[in-house]
Amino acid sequence: MPQLTINKKDLGNNTVLLEPVGCLDAHTFEKMEQAIRGLFKEKVFRIIVSLPLLDYISSAGAGVFIGNITPAQEKGGNIVLVNPSANVKEVFDLLGLSQIFPMADDVEEALTHFQDDGT
Amino acid sequence: MPSIMLNKIERKLVVVNETKNLKLLRNFVTEVSGEMNVPLPERNKIILAVDEAVSNIIEHAYDSSHEGKSEVEVILLSEPDKVVITIKDSGREFDPTEIEDPDIRMHVNEGRKNGLGIFLMRQIMDEVKYTFRAGVENQLVMVKYFKDEGEDSPGKDFAE
Repeated sequence: MPQLTINKKDLGNNTVLLEPVGCLDAHTFEKMEQAIRGLFKEKVFRIIVSLPLLDYISSAGAGVFIGNITPAQEKGGNIVLVNPSANVKEVFDLLGLSQIFPMADDVEEALTHFQDDGT
Repeated sequence: MPSIMLNKIERKLVVVNETKNLKLLRNFVTEVSGEMNVPLPERNKIILAVDEAVSNIIEHAYDSSHEGKSEVEVILLSEPDKVVITIKDSGREFDPTEIEDPDIRMHVNEGRKNGLGIFLMRQIMDEVKYTFRAGVENQLVMVKYFKDEGEDSPGKDFAE
């Protein structure tokens, strides 16, 4: 079983839901990086990352979101993190990212973090 | 609340310097910290600190062409009131204690990722020390204290 799989769902309105499952660390972060960069190439900048099935994240994994949120926002989008597991939330808290990143309890709430309707 | 008394244990793991071994490393720390009786929230943080330290060694102590050709030694030792983690490698000198803490908001604005792992290590552990002997060994020692209720612990406030 791979250490990280990423499920992808098109939510319409130029919005995509990514759901990483497994561990996001120095070994697997490039897979997440490629997934987000792939969306940017498709001109998708409204990205919701659903995190309840991500068991573990290290700074390398968090770095993917740190490195890509500003480019997404500059294109009128955002990266919204949804419902992280306790382990993952703790790492965001330790890094001080919980106050900086838009967080939501579910996808519906995440959609309110985007400034326009995506059209 | 009763004070925590850790079991006295010493365990060693030697891993090849490849990121694919980080999961094996985390499993090792999970198992040993459980045997030590480290409380669960602190156990998860110690796993993260060790992962960050070894990830840094794999990334910075060796050229990428050298990945998979050297070994990193991780020793976990517990006394009743502390866990001592010693990590040894033979790569180039890389002193994480010299790296400044990041301004996280600036990092986000500029998309910078450097220094985050070291920042986490410092947030989690009470002591982070580094020694380097050219051509012989780098040694990183991290200590986490588990003191009686009411005693001052320099690492206690990190989660606020």
